[in-house]
Amino acid sequence: MNLTPEQQELGRRNFLRALAGTPALAALAVGAATKGPVKGGPVRVGFIGIGGQGRVLLEQTDPAFADVQALCDINPLSLAKADDVLKKRGLHPARHYTEWKDMLAKENLEAVIMAPPLWMHADLASGCLEAGKHVLCEKMMAWDYPGCERMRDTARKTGKLLEIGYQRNYNPLYQAAHEGIVKAGQLGDVYHARIVWHRNGTWRRKGEPPSPDYDPSPWGYPDYDHLINWRLYWRYSRGLHAELASHQVNIVNWFFGAEPETVISSGGVYRFPEGGREVPDHVYSIFEYPHGRTAVFTSIESNAYDHYYEAFYGTKATLILRGETEAYLFEEGGNARPTTVDVTPKGSGPALDASESRSAEAAGSVSGGAGEKVDRTAAYRLEVSGFCSAIRTGKPLACGPDRAIGSAKACIRAAEAVEKKETRLTV
Amino acid sequence: MKDVEATLSRGQEVSLVLLRTLVGWHFLYEGYFKLLRPAWSRDGAPLAAWTSAGYLHAANGPFAALFHRLADAAWIGRVDTLVAAALILVGLSLTLGLFTQAGGAGALALLALFYLSQIPTAGVPQPQTEGAYLFVNKNLIEAGAVLVLLLFRTGRIAGLDRLRHETRARVTSAQEAAS
Repeated sequence: MNLTPEQQELGRRNFLRALAGTPALAALAVGAATKGPVKGGPVRVGFIGIGGQGRVLLEQTDPAFADVQALCDINPLSLAKADDVLKKRGLHPARHYTEWKDMLAKENLEAVIMAPPLWMHADLASGCLEAGKHVLCEKMMAWDYPGCERMRDTARKTGKLLEIGYQRNYNPLYQAAHEGIVKAGQLGDVYHARIVWHRNGTWRRKGEPPSPDYDPSPWGYPDYDHLINWRLYWRYSRGLHAELASHQVNIVNWFFGAEPETVISSGGVYRFPEGGREVPDHVYSIFEYPHGRTAVFTSIESNAYDHYYEAFYGTKATLILRGETEAYLFEEGGNARPTTVDVTPKGSGPALDASESRSAEAAGSVSGGAGEKVDRTAAYRLEVSGFCSAIRTGKPLACGPDRAIGSAKACIRAAEAVEKKETRLTV
Repeated sequence: MKDVEATLSRGQEVSLVLLRTLVGWHFLYEGYFKLLRPAWSRDGAPLAAWTSAGYLHAANGPFAALFHRLADAAWIGRVDTLVAAALILVGLSLTLGLFTQAGGAGALALLALFYLSQIPTAGVPQPQTEGAYLFVNKNLIEAGAVLVLLLFRTGRIAGLDRLRHETRARVTSAQEAAS
């Protein structure tokens, strides 16, 4: 999605103006705030899978909400890098484990935050839930649909919380767009959404093993390449659909209030066939929802011009959420009045207020109370904090298994349609 | 104040007992909340464990150095627990009207400590306060209220002290009748 600076300015202002009539999201939590406090300190957590994404979550873990006591990973390099994160943040060191079952047996943990390769999600998450731990599991929910069901059913059976890491659900921009624009009917009838994630480069990672004799085969990886590049192999991964599309389909499901019924897919390994890559580097999918609504997803690794966004095309207006940090609204026929927006800390997290009365400041940027720009990592922080709040106070999760499973199911089927060269599959 | 019941109107009695209950509840909840922490608000915000160190570090006035030393003491954690427990005991005493005079004296002692540690001399709003104070702040006013409660012996008007007093009187008169 490429817009001229003028179009961006117009779109931002329209978005903010449209929100101006809606109450601040913080008001929704007022009822809960009037009740008394609950005893308890930060939630005692352990991490499983502390690679790149695990460390993003570790970096965004607020010590007021969670006390990181243990780290578990089969790769010693990842553990060392995680130690650096803790040290850099001035947090106390965490004990190391290679086997997650050892960690659960030896540590007095309340919750586990996990970001292992996708194929392990169902076993690890269900195992932790069975052991009485609350679980925040990085997206996608699981490698296959039975795995998703197992996770959801285990959470129900044990009564423990299971959250799936779709951080957009905690992003104030998305919450405001849903409450103030989509739910308020400002888009009119929406028949079409476009979800795009375009990049230019290979997904393959390079790295030396922690030692010459390091052998990851006991954990199912024939060599170090398969461990660090698990996303490229069908056994461990669902490719671009799991890693990218599932985020965006999750948002479409939320905004449509529905889940896809069928999916049409195409794709292949067109640009980066070297190294035995199995998952496509270009995929194109059409997700068909009830009542004639359609979401079209494209993800390519040969051009980053469009980058990534979710766009909703309604009979009254178009809503574009770009890069998790920008929001634009374009009314059919065009209409613009200047407004401004603040994201300020209220209660346990930022809330988004809009006002038409501050037109002089309407430079178009979404700025924080302390002048900080809203960055996409803030949503991760809110996600981890929200998970901990839910454990302590019963505050609802933003993306529990019932919401996450719809996106997983659709993206698993979309990936299968590509892998098996079947054009259309029922979700 | 020997014969309180005989000299006060009903409205005066009710007002005094109400004042005692309100002051007692204030102490009780302050102590309870300090002991409860670390805790979480119901809307999901963590509340760190309470310590008096910050308050003591901000002390001013003639005893500032003493309070500062206390804040840095290794046993400040025990001081915190002691203060919270004292607040709860005083609160229970005043709310229930049990050992009311002792509870009132404890309340006065605590309020005196709180006041002396931060005597309002600025006369303009200070950080984390909601008003402007010069010499007189809410601690001092509450101490004044406790002084009134002490002098009027409100435990004898209503509360468990009155029950204790009446029970003891009945036992004494029964013993006298028996002898």
